[in-house]
Amino acid sequence: MKIKKLILRLSVMIILFISAGFCSSSIDLRAEEESVTLVSMIVKMDHGDYWKTIKMGAEVAAKEYNVKLDFMAPANENDYKGQIALMEQSIHNGTDAIILSASDYMALAQVTDQASYYGIPVLSMDAEVASAKVKSYIGANNYEAGQKAAERLVELTGTEGEIGIINFVKGARNADQREEGFMDYIARFPDLKIADIEYCGSDERLADTLTRTMIHEFPNIKGIVALNAEASIGAGKAIDELGYGGKTKLITFDNPPEMMEKLQEGTVQAMVVQNPYSNGYLAVSSAVQLAEGNSIPERFDTGTKLIDLDNMLWPDNQKLLFPFIK
Amino acid sequence: MRFWRTLFQPLGRFHYKKIQVMITLSFMFITIITVLLVSVMLYNKFSKSSEENTFLNMGQIIDQVNLNLEFYVSGMKDIFEVVEESIGNSSQLTGNQLESRLNTILNTREDLVSIALFTKSGELVLNTPSIGMRPNSRLPRQGWFEAAQEHPGLLQFSAPHIQNVFKSPYRWVVSMSKEISYLDHRIKKKGILAVDINFRTIDELSKRVSLGKKGYVYIIDGLGNIVYHPQQQLIYAGLKYENLEPVLNYSFGSYMDDSTGEERIITIKTVQPTGWKVVGVTYADEIMTTKKDINAFMLWFLLVMLGIVLIVSVFVSYRIAKPLRNLERSVKKVEDGDFATIIDVSGAYEVEQLSKRFNLMIRRIRELMDQIILEQEAKRKGELEVLQAQINPHFLYNTLNSVTRMAEMGRKEEVVTTITSLSKFFRISLSKGNNIISVQDELEHVRNYLIIQKIRFKNKFQYEIEAQDEALNCMTLKLILQPLVENAIHHGIEMMVDEGFIGIYSWIEDECLFIRVTDNGVGMSEEVLRGVLTGRSRQESGSGVGVRNVHERISLYYGTPYGLTFESELEEGTTVTVRLPIISKPEIHGNGGQP
Repeated sequence: MKIKKLILRLSVMIILFISAGFCSSSIDLRAEEESVTLVSMIVKMDHGDYWKTIKMGAEVAAKEYNVKLDFMAPANENDYKGQIALMEQSIHNGTDAIILSASDYMALAQVTDQASYYGIPVLSMDAEVASAKVKSYIGANNYEAGQKAAERLVELTGTEGEIGIINFVKGARNADQREEGFMDYIARFPDLKIADIEYCGSDERLADTLTRTMIHEFPNIKGIVALNAEASIGAGKAIDELGYGGKTKLITFDNPPEMMEKLQEGTVQAMVVQNPYSNGYLAVSSAVQLAEGNSIPERFDTGTKLIDLDNMLWPDNQKLLFPFIK
Repeated sequence: MRFWRTLFQPLGRFHYKKIQVMITLSFMFITIITVLLVSVMLYNKFSKSSEENTFLNMGQIIDQVNLNLEFYVSGMKDIFEVVEESIGNSSQLTGNQLESRLNTILNTREDLVSIALFTKSGELVLNTPSIGMRPNSRLPRQGWFEAAQEHPGLLQFSAPHIQNVFKSPYRWVVSMSKEISYLDHRIKKKGILAVDINFRTIDELSKRVSLGKKGYVYIIDGLGNIVYHPQQQLIYAGLKYENLEPVLNYSFGSYMDDSTGEERIITIKTVQPTGWKVVGVTYADEIMTTKKDINAFMLWFLLVMLGIVLIVSVFVSYRIAKPLRNLERSVKKVEDGDFATIIDVSGAYEVEQLSKRFNLMIRRIRELMDQIILEQEAKRKGELEVLQAQINPHFLYNTLNSVTRMAEMGRKEEVVTTITSLSKFFRISLSKGNNIISVQDELEHVRNYLIIQKIRFKNKFQYEIEAQDEALNCMTLKLILQPLVENAIHHGIEMMVDEGFIGIYSWIEDECLFIRVTDNGVGMSEEVLRGVLTGRSRQESGSGVGVRNVHERISLYYGTPYGLTFESELEEGTTVTVRLPIISKPEIHGNGGQP
């Protein structure tokens, strides 16, 4: 009897000790556990340096904040329906936050509201969308960027003559705002005429063709502004090949490497450079904040810079133009 | 169930002097003190050594990176010297020989981007790989070119910059540049030799270095340009920030920095030939995390230990205290008068022994109490009987009857003797109420009795009283001989035909006082003899003060070894011997003599 009792007591003690051990080890387990945030990033197009840079920035932030990033885009920048489908898919997948760079200001409004209805916060990046549910905008001030481009073009061309615009997608908020900013500035000079506005749909070849046509139609055109990277590449190529380099002043947007070369060769006089890397990074880090329920500022202006031959090699601008080491 | 109820019982009836409470509290106290002491000591030791380790590790890691970089840089310097030598020694700059040689050098290292020689005005003399120059590169105003011109003959390491000379992709490079002499068509000229290296190797060297979970290493040049940083792109994009100002003021050492809002330990080392600085960043809260971990562990350890100790001590103290409580309860019952209580307590050996002894004691007390009750009863009865004997009305009546008869017959002398003896007899009988009288008085008492009886029985018997002098001075219970003599007369001599004889003797022998009453009467059968002391054959006649009563009184007063012994033989006579302790006169106080 006594031995039995003793064994019983001993086993109770051993169980107590073991459970004490488990108590302490379970704390460590809890510390290891960290939640993964699902963030969908829906941009306008699945190719192009500009978007690649955004993706890189986003990926760095995703790694930093333990985010599972779902980077999605239609093949074509005109394809707002594709974007809507991607939005719906993200809502269906129950993502924690959506970052949207809307191809169309109006068309994506409804699906944005829908996401908000399902409790998924939506951030707009680069281009806004016509929804009051959007928590924040991360990107450049496009109206100001348009004005900057216009200001430099006027300096180059003088206050009279004809100028042309190669825009990308009509209806995209950033395209419209850049155009508006540009036009508003040009409007100060009554002798400066806008000869033509073309939309290339972020297609380099189409931009090339459109530029050639424009120069054919208006041989005396004094200056052309291209309002995004693809339009710039196309316009630069056309002007170069037609031998109009330096004769028709060209202001471009964004900084694909080939455009840097064109700047040095003198085809491009200046470029308005945004901060796509920052856009991507800030968008993801802000999305994490939103998903965790924190509030964030309504706007992040990541700024634009006008780069020309004189300032392109300033150390600060080198870092902006070439954020990648390799 | 019962165990758990008793486990928490102390909460209900808390008394700090209870054994259970005392044991529990002292257990807890000792454990808390011990665990706290050990915890504090371990904590101090751990945190101190972890801090020391961190600093040591950091220093070692930075040293290692520094060493690797110095090795790397000196390797690059060697390559530059080889290039410089080959260009300086060759007489023909455009020849295939030099070009292939430079190509070989370029191909040995992956991180060599280009080798180029420029005139002092910035025109290209030769380059490997031979790629055309980019327009508008403003070469003479690039930093590396200017530096080489400013410090002729000294090798210059440039800040990281975009290579913007040739029509190759834009790349971040570090340029090694130096003004050198070369022969162009046998004419000695001065030019700028530039060897561009990319960051790959530096990246590889630094990327794998980690200082804790969050810590990292970065490299800056002498002017504060970042050569390598794990978050270089973020810093270039202006999304992250590194507080470089204080770093530039140190060439080696450590300091605390809280410019980013977090406390960080910055360790700096300078790479010698280039003036680059290897900077290690460790987050102070990681050291604190170790401390916090230890803290949390200690806290849990303490809590768990306390819990276990509480349970164990309550349990142990319960085990110890429970039998004692039972014991206490039993003793209380005894205290209340319940002597039938038997303690059945199991537990510690001591407690078991205690309860066993207690049981024995209770039994003994019970026995003694029973005995006392019996004895008291007997004593009372005896005393009552003595009281009766003192008056002895039967004897008085008989004697007075005899006196009357004698007076009628005119036997004056006999009447006087009888009355005198009767008076003496009663005086000694009463003896001022004392129970204890001297042997002399007792003998005198019985002598007077015998005188009266002899007259009454008309000299039917003779008597003799003899005593040692020592015996006479001893004390004895009174009225013990008279019943024996009465017995001898009535049962021994009265029925005899011949003349009887009664002898009374007193002496001291073997530390005892003996008084013997002997007669030569009819004697007793063995059966009767046995019955005398047990009281079964009680005399139907006589004064009523029985022989048995005498025996009982003696044993009650003096203890069991004392009393009467009978020897008797039919037709021969009976001898009764009284055995008494020797108690001399002065020891007697009142009637409460102790055996």
